[in-house]
Amino acid sequence: MTRLNLVLLIAVVVSAMYLVHSQYETRRLFVEHEKTLKEAAQLEIALERLTVEQRAQATPLRVARLARDQLQMRNPAPGITQYVTRPGFVREASQ
Amino acid sequence: MRSRSVQLSSSPLLTSKTPVWRSQLIVATIALAFAALAVRAAYVQVIDNSFFKRQGEVRFARTLELPANRGRILDRNGLLLATSVPAPSIWANPEDMERDPEKLRQLARLLGVLPADLEKKLANEDKTFVWLKRQLDESVAKEILALDIKGVYTIKEYKRLYPEGEAAAHVVGFTNVEDVGQEGMELVFQKQLAGRSGSRRVIKDRLGRVVEDIGEAVLPVDGVDLQLSIDNKVQFFAYQKLRDAVLEHKAKAGSVVVLDAQSGEVLALANYPSYSPDKRVNLSGEQLRNRALTDTFEPGSTMKPLVISQALEKGIVRPESRIETAPGRLTISGSTISDAHPQGTLTVSEVIQKSSNIGTVKIAMQMQPKDMWEIFTQVGFGQKPQIPFPGVVSGKLRPYKTWRPIEQATMSYGYGLSTSLFQLARSYTVFSHDGEVIPASLMKIENPSVTAGVRVMSAEHALAVRKMLNLAAGPGGTAPKAQTVGYSVGGKTGTAHKQEGKGYAGKKYRGFFVGLAPIERPRIVVAVMIDEPSNGRYFGGDVAAPVFSETVQQTLRLMGVQPDMSVKPQTAVRAVEESF
Repeated sequence: MTRLNLVLLIAVVVSAMYLVHSQYETRRLFVEHEKTLKEAAQLEIALERLTVEQRAQATPLRVARLARDQLQMRNPAPGITQYVTRPGFVREASQ
Repeated sequence: MRSRSVQLSSSPLLTSKTPVWRSQLIVATIALAFAALAVRAAYVQVIDNSFFKRQGEVRFARTLELPANRGRILDRNGLLLATSVPAPSIWANPEDMERDPEKLRQLARLLGVLPADLEKKLANEDKTFVWLKRQLDESVAKEILALDIKGVYTIKEYKRLYPEGEAAAHVVGFTNVEDVGQEGMELVFQKQLAGRSGSRRVIKDRLGRVVEDIGEAVLPVDGVDLQLSIDNKVQFFAYQKLRDAVLEHKAKAGSVVVLDAQSGEVLALANYPSYSPDKRVNLSGEQLRNRALTDTFEPGSTMKPLVISQALEKGIVRPESRIETAPGRLTISGSTISDAHPQGTLTVSEVIQKSSNIGTVKIAMQMQPKDMWEIFTQVGFGQKPQIPFPGVVSGKLRPYKTWRPIEQATMSYGYGLSTSLFQLARSYTVFSHDGEVIPASLMKIENPSVTAGVRVMSAEHALAVRKMLNLAAGPGGTAPKAQTVGYSVGGKTGTAHKQEGKGYAGKKYRGFFVGLAPIERPRIVVAVMIDEPSNGRYFGGDVAAPVFSETVQQTLRLMGVQPDMSVKPQTAVRAVEESF
């Protein structure tokens, strides 16, 4: 009888300790998860910001100016364009 | 020496008899105490545990708002026209703020204000909330927080960015500092763009860190992305050419509308003057107004092709019928109508080509007022365009029963009714879409081939009028400046006196041009309006046609349309410079 009680007591204590540990582990993982989510959100924001930045750097105005001033390019005109048609290729109505 | 031992077991105290009930009383009392504890524990843990649970939660649980991201606005190719990025706002609590002069100096520098101004803001120590600056860059906000000034806090807010700037400002619109749409598409689609914010209950620990979720979180529903029919490159070019023209002709304002001739999608819609949606200070109504949709004017000669097309449709004339326009004057019930340049006998095609008022009136007077009213109504005059936009106007078209003969005559060349530039552009889809007028759309249409039009005239007559329009934009017409390299174009000029009060303003004009290209299979309809050009020239053929020409040239190139006219190749062959 005493032996059984002793065994049960040990079992209870162990399981209690394990409970504490797993609770601790849960919280630790939860916090880690939170942190990662936050980081993901931050990265998403950074992506959005960089996309905007890229768009701002690639506006037609800027591209046209750089092409003209720095690369000495000019607008294509039908006179200097060679049009080719790919056989069997049907262009979509727009773009 | 005799030692004295103590016999503990024979202590006299033990030998005294105590009553048994004493020890029993003590045992009972202790048992009672334990029982009380057990009952209390049961009460706390089982019977009334919700109260304690709630009290516990009140101390540690917090509801966090999960803000929804505002949807983006994209052009037809998926390029950004508007998007939101987080921009923290800084606020302070002057009541319990740390006032270290050195830190305040640094704070002022980061905020970009003078230290004296900052002092002034924080002067009233009774206040508990003062905005220091709203919508800062995130990096600056981080630096400010790094200063670690007590009583200075940040709030997460969003800022709307418009990479396209002023070119697309009128279509896209803008939001206010609370991220609520104020103008344009931002206003029309506020509900869809805004989305719905969610929330979650969490438990925070002593340091304010989230350690546990309570229950299910209500996830935020992000706003939907909005894809417009606008092509950002076409939009930009159209805006740029328009701006150049308005400045060159010292005009008050101008608008341009580019429609896809087959699907009715709006490829570009620009006005000048415009504004930068990011920096909105001292904006005037002049800048904010989307003139192409909200301003009406008398369309002048641009109505002639519509009247002629109806005459063709009713069998009154044929393109080669001859009309006598000499001597360039015509009197109808006491009022005289005249041509700017008197012509002799003209064919119907030439009436359009030379824009003869007399010729048009003579044809129009053979029609019933109802027939003229019908064509005007069918192509959308006097009705609000079916597009979602704030402040869209319908223009004026009086019922035909109230028309006097002279009014029918003047209406045939565009006086006595009014329209917006947008309506005018859309009305010409009747020619571009082979006799069917198609609805215009500011949203991208996924399957443009199914666009259903309303048949107004036969395809044959639409083509006949397109050929007349081609003549008008040709060497002997009113707008040779509308021509492009490689693409056949057709269009009609219009020049109208501006109305002021009840009469016409003496020297104030509007010049406009509406046309399509290429002639055989039109891909785009372009309408241009220049308001009060005051640098000498004011005819639509001089001020508006060049904008049309350049816009068409660029747009068709961007759309990848192959030129339909032969072009002399001028492939650049440059001799390599000799090296020595």
